[in-house]
Amino acid sequence: MSFLSNLFGKKKSSASVAKDRLTIMLAHERVNCKLPYLDDLRNDLIEVIKKYTSVDDVKITSQNNQNIEMLEVEIILGKK
Amino acid sequence: MGTIITVTSGKGGVGKSTTTANLAVGLANLGKKVVAVDFDIGLRNLDMILGLENRIVYDVVDVMEERCNLAQALINDKKAKSLYFLPASQTNDKDILEREKVKKLLLSLKEQFDIVLLDSPAGIESGFEHSIFLADRALIVSTPDVSSVRDADRVIGIIDAKSEKAKNGEEVEKHVIINRIKPEMVAAGNMLSTEDVLSILALPLIGVIPDDEDIIGSTNTGDPIINKEKSIAAESYRRISRRILGEEIEFLDLKVKKGFFKRLFS
Repeated sequence: MSFLSNLFGKKKSSASVAKDRLTIMLAHERVNCKLPYLDDLRNDLIEVIKKYTSVDDVKITSQNNQNIEMLEVEIILGKK
Repeated sequence: MGTIITVTSGKGGVGKSTTTANLAVGLANLGKKVVAVDFDIGLRNLDMILGLENRIVYDVVDVMEERCNLAQALINDKKAKSLYFLPASQTNDKDILEREKVKKLLLSLKEQFDIVLLDSPAGIESGFEHSIFLADRALIVSTPDVSSVRDADRVIGIIDAKSEKAKNGEEVEKHVIINRIKPEMVAAGNMLSTEDVLSILALPLIGVIPDDEDIIGSTNTGDPIINKEKSIAAESYRRISRRILGEEIEFLDLKVKKGFFKRLFS
């Protein structure tokens, strides 16, 4: 009866669950092929931002889907 | 100069050796001079799939350690006359291979053959590294299940890091082979589809091999399935062989067609 439940959207197919789980898992694992300069970059960024305002933390996360690599920089400003 | 093609997967048991054996025969049948090398040191098995286990005298480590010359160790296939096989050694020391010796062997194979097909061991340890560092191309075999796709992804991520070609600014050409797909299960939504796997791995496809019980029989007898005329798995392997040589060949239609209901609901 799996085709009926697919038809009426009652249950997600196990294949699409597998796809979602893999996509999420691999997005995390691909970050692990760590970029060696991240720590230095982070410290430099903090130095630059300090010139203008106070900063609590800079978080850099990298994402990679084998075609594009992306760095996401999150700057948390300190309370003045 | 020939081309070194490494067949790899990350996870074990997904059909690397079966794929290597069938593609080796397929490429030889297309007129290429091929050598299939079992790089799974310590755990020989390509020999049995090819049906050549009784003819082994020397192995790949014997050649590297110069206990024999290359010609003495190469075994000519019974049917495919332009196919040669170089068996793995059965030493317990899996770290026996040395990079310089591997390089020397592979370069001399590359001189003598059109295609050097390397059956890489599972895992990402030194055996894998030796099988990938001189590769011109890589075929990544994955079955449509989460653990196999995950490991394939990991291997894809480190191929370029371990390859000499990549160090020289070139790229190792990579293709995915999806093995043991069951069209009925895909149609029912219970198995990852070819499209699912490709979108996750983000690499071009070179072939899909349907799950086929006859493959067990052909492994039992040591006669690769590609020799069988009427088999859909054999046809898949024949088409992959042609694609490796650069031909553009249509993919087999593996969609489930039988039955009114299945057509309606798939």
